[in-house]
Amino acid sequence: MAQFINMLLIGIGAGSIYALMAIAMVLVWRSTRVINFAQAGMALLSTYIGFELVQKTGNFWIALPLAMILGALFSALVEILLIRTLIKHSTSGPVAGIVPIIATLGLLGFIRAMIGFIWGNQDIQIQPPLSKVGFKFGEETISLSPMNLLVLLTVLGMVLVLGFIFQKTSLGLSLRASAYSPEIAQLAGIRVGAIRTIGWAIAGAAGAAAGLLQTVNGTGAVSPDSLEFSLLLTFGFIAAVIGGLESLPGAVLGAVVLGLVLAAVQIYISGTLVFIVAFALLLLVLLVRPQGFIGTKAGRRA
Amino acid sequence: MLKKHPLIGFTLFGVVLFLLSNRVDELRVFQGATVAIYVIAIASIILLTGYSGQVSLGHGALLAIGGYAAALSRNHWGAPVWLTFCIAVLAAALGGYFLGLAAARLSGPYLAGTTLALAIGLPSIANQFPIFGGEQGLLYDIGAPPASLGADFTQYKWYFWIASLAALISIYWLRNVMNSRYGRNWKAVRGNDVAAELAGINVGRNKVLAFTVSAGLAGLAGALLAMTISTVSPGAFPLALSFSLATGAVLSGVTTLGGVMIGAVTLVAIPEIVDTVVSRFESSETVANNLPGLLVSTLLILTVLFVPNGPVEQMRARHEKRAKR
Repeated sequence: MAQFINMLLIGIGAGSIYALMAIAMVLVWRSTRVINFAQAGMALLSTYIGFELVQKTGNFWIALPLAMILGALFSALVEILLIRTLIKHSTSGPVAGIVPIIATLGLLGFIRAMIGFIWGNQDIQIQPPLSKVGFKFGEETISLSPMNLLVLLTVLGMVLVLGFIFQKTSLGLSLRASAYSPEIAQLAGIRVGAIRTIGWAIAGAAGAAAGLLQTVNGTGAVSPDSLEFSLLLTFGFIAAVIGGLESLPGAVLGAVVLGLVLAAVQIYISGTLVFIVAFALLLLVLLVRPQGFIGTKAGRRA
Repeated sequence: MLKKHPLIGFTLFGVVLFLLSNRVDELRVFQGATVAIYVIAIASIILLTGYSGQVSLGHGALLAIGGYAAALSRNHWGAPVWLTFCIAVLAAALGGYFLGLAAARLSGPYLAGTTLALAIGLPSIANQFPIFGGEQGLLYDIGAPPASLGADFTQYKWYFWIASLAALISIYWLRNVMNSRYGRNWKAVRGNDVAAELAGINVGRNKVLAFTVSAGLAGLAGALLAMTISTVSPGAFPLALSFSLATGAVLSGVTTLGGVMIGAVTLVAIPEIVDTVVSRFESSETVANNLPGLLVSTLLILTVLFVPNGPVEQMRARHEKRAKR
């Protein structure tokens, strides 16, 4: 029983961070119809910047929002400099579909190399701001530490704020309109270009939060080749796709499901199998319900 | 004459290669073998992406299937070398067939992400089952070159001969396939799958077939790669390999086989260039570690921005434009 509860806790904890990553993927997909394979690279860069900020300010809770703002700026810059040029250059032809994929992959490699140049290929260490010892219930120590709890609450807060922005503000309405139909949105007087950049910026902020929280939630160590970022890259994508790629609640749901399944595999079978199980889950969802958990059939027209 | 009888051209090119292999030093011969392997792997991506419109970022996984199949059949059944290559092709093609069944229902970014997940996930299987030898992997020894080739015929030259022969045959065969009914069907599917379907082409079956053939070629490349390093291990097929191959395909131009050498040579040349730069300027280890990645990714971004169809196609387009004037 205790094992089962731990599985739930670990699953939801991991899933909440994948959720941020998946949200970033969904935001970018909705605003520009690009799957940003560099998202994990951008999150990694933000994590390194967060590390510097923690060093400078000595306080994780100041560093986190600052890193998110910088992550948003960087992401917006990428959209303006790279993605706009790309979309302008290649609207037709046999390679139009693959060009954004390749470009974001190139960006991923570029960011990794730059991080290597600036910080070297050694690990950096970020101290978790709170205790990572699990709460005690009588004799049992459960897999929920103050740190985990805070990560969970932070993610929940961000999701609520994003949900509010999307559903209740005029910015959210513009974002949804531009995603739904760029031409009509443009005719209705929405500056679609600017809205796209904002979509990328929010995604950059979410990715930055995912990177930093993943780091302090895990071992606290990061390197350009660390496993944690292959995790973020793959699982963020998988969560977004099984959630439907179009909807934010879908992304969160997909991420939590993914987190729970992987936690179950990790605890009951073997930790080395998580990647292949994640792949199998992705394949299964794509074959059985290609539109994802939440999403309409028409939504999957790429 | 060469346009009409490509076989003569391929044979001549092969003879030139063999003559060259006797002239240059060991390192160059080894690099030549690597280029030949990359040519096969990149051609398999071009076939998939450029001719049937499917994207795979996980070709490293298919190479790994080929490499492991070759090593397992060699170690457990003592199969002769040529047979291990055939087994590698078949095993990878089978893997590609199943992947293709799923892939035919996916498009663009979905397929890219799925294959990417496979490339990250597959190596972990090697650690799970002892038959694959875990992190260390398996030995794959094709033995010394036959004595009839002379005493000073080195191991690397033997690798080079096998690899380039395989590459020449593969490209020649692929070239013919592209000009056959199947190749035309693939191009039609890539161009517009609804129109292709209306013209009586079974889109799903053609996509699966393209994936299967591409995977078979990738399996061959994987076995050859394993041959040159004498082992197969998860570390020999990292995610970086999949990315390099995708890069090579984009640099070559995914819509035509003509430029396949460009990508392969670039991939082999970049570490060489970095070595030269590092030793010339006595740069630090950081530079040596990160310069290759920087060069590859910069090239990749520049290529998709400015020559998205690849240099060969670009030149042809320019040539045609001038001819029209």
